[in-house]
Amino acid sequence: MNEELDSQLSAMFDDELAPAECELLARRLSRDEQLKARWGRYAVIGAAIRSERGVLDAALAGRVSAVILAEPALAAAQGARRAPARWWQPLAGAAVAVGVAVGSVLWLRAQAPFTAAPPSAHLTATVSVPAAAVLSAAAAGAADSYVVPRAPAVRAMVPSTELANYVVAHSVFSSPVGRRNLLSAFMASESGTAAEEPPVEPEGNVR
Amino acid sequence: MSASERFIALTLAWTVAGAALAGEASPERTPVGETSPESTPAQKTSLDQAPAHKTSLESAPAQKTSPESAPAQWLERMNRALTTRNYDGTFSHWHGGQVEMLRIIHRVQDGTVSERLASLDGSGREFIRAGPSLTCYLPDKRTVLVEQRPPQESLVGFPAVNDQTASFYDIREVTHTRLNRRSTHVITVSPKDEYRYGYRLWIDDSTAMPLKTQLCDRRGHVIEQIVFASLTLPAHIPDSAFKPDVSTAGFQWLRNESGPPAPAAATLAWNAMRLPPGFRMAARSAQTLPGSADPVDHLVFTDGLASVSVFVEAQRREQADQPAVPESAAVGSSSAFSTVIDGHKITAVGEVPPDTVRFIASQLKAEEPAAVSSRRR
Repeated sequence: MNEELDSQLSAMFDDELAPAECELLARRLSRDEQLKARWGRYAVIGAAIRSERGVLDAALAGRVSAVILAEPALAAAQGARRAPARWWQPLAGAAVAVGVAVGSVLWLRAQAPFTAAPPSAHLTATVSVPAAAVLSAAAAGAADSYVVPRAPAVRAMVPSTELANYVVAHSVFSSPVGRRNLLSAFMASESGTAAEEPPVEPEGNVR
Repeated sequence: MSASERFIALTLAWTVAGAALAGEASPERTPVGETSPESTPAQKTSLDQAPAHKTSLESAPAQKTSPESAPAQWLERMNRALTTRNYDGTFSHWHGGQVEMLRIIHRVQDGTVSERLASLDGSGREFIRAGPSLTCYLPDKRTVLVEQRPPQESLVGFPAVNDQTASFYDIREVTHTRLNRRSTHVITVSPKDEYRYGYRLWIDDSTAMPLKTQLCDRRGHVIEQIVFASLTLPAHIPDSAFKPDVSTAGFQWLRNESGPPAPAAATLAWNAMRLPPGFRMAARSAQTLPGSADPVDHLVFTDGLASVSVFVEAQRREQADQPAVPESAAVGSSSAFSTVIDGHKITAVGEVPPDTVRFIASQLKAEEPAAVSSRRR
């Protein structure tokens, strides 16, 4: 392996490689059997060395996500990884990176107690949502800058089996696309683990 | 970062990058309509027992479409394709920085819908629909949920895009482009307020199947994405394709033993005092959910695209003494909210923003049936 490639790999995992180069490097890794085998062996050695360590580095998780999200519209993930590390990020990163077996992610995001309020002004007065801006951005293929909302405290609102009941019952009445999204998210999620984490103090509204 | 850590990280990145590339269906790797020879290991499961007579999109019978079709018509065609066609596809699901591969198999045969959705590399969960029977395998909970629905719902195409939909969404075709070697119409569905989400859909020109779907917030930012890595439209899909991979030995089976839902006939009639603009109640029934003997009122509200279910159940005695703390949850980009009103637990679930389920659930109020019927007269 030449020095330049080695340097790129180091930079990639030090969060110093440009996203475009990350993607190119990932593609090369996915195609180069020799390289793949070599790093596979290294992984076994590395895994043995660091077997005591339970979670992945948060920045790595974010960088891996950046590689995945070659789609410009999804470049937002980079914003997420630059955000201060939160309790779920290392776990989520690990889950993504490994392909994934276990982890957290029913995404049971429980919020702070909420005062049930009637439709507030900020909700009812927003009919002038910038739909035109949305469309123009889509048409122009402009990169989005979505920032993952702050993670509120996590606590199981309802037992996950009960939530599963609700999701399944509701899916019958969803639009075809909505149902696929809902059920896919539910199939992809891994219940329980997230809710079992120690509660985190609420950071504010999800929005 | 130490050298050993880099080695691990690199290998993980390679693993994910390979899956991601397949998930993004880069043309040189996984063209839609073909089965990738470089399937990720996760895809090499018994799910990959290819159905006989596999037909690629290229040879699939085209629906009657025309370039001049209105964007809303494309949505209708897409809904029709998703609900009436046979298809077998592998897709990547992205949300919150995580990607997971799933497989969906859908068949309509003799008027009966069969569907199987399986996580290929994550929880191992599977959802199987066989006509009126919905079965959810949750290996992580060692539980299987079985719910029976009325047969008439087996072909439900609900909700429907109509004129009212246009009042709350801006539906446009923004471009006509190629995706994975396929000609697609890119349709945007932009919400006009923040009570609902929007979509960007890459709809296949000849089959009307959505090859790529992005769920967007009100600012147009992508919050969830589905991209098919492979998709075929087989003329025939064998029954064996709908058998779960999950071994259920020792699993707990939860069923709604009392049969299909009946019309709501509770002592209290629940209704929403106010609803977000455009939402209306579209269905209500009384049912029992798997694993519960208590009846639950199920109310459905929709604006034509998005829908919200509200479940109302009497609080159990042991819960009655606990403080009523409203709480929120999310499944992907879908939202759930639970609160307690008049001794009943109210839970709203829907593919809408958190504020919408919160608003609808909080507006529920119980009325005596007599009062409701007199008001309707």
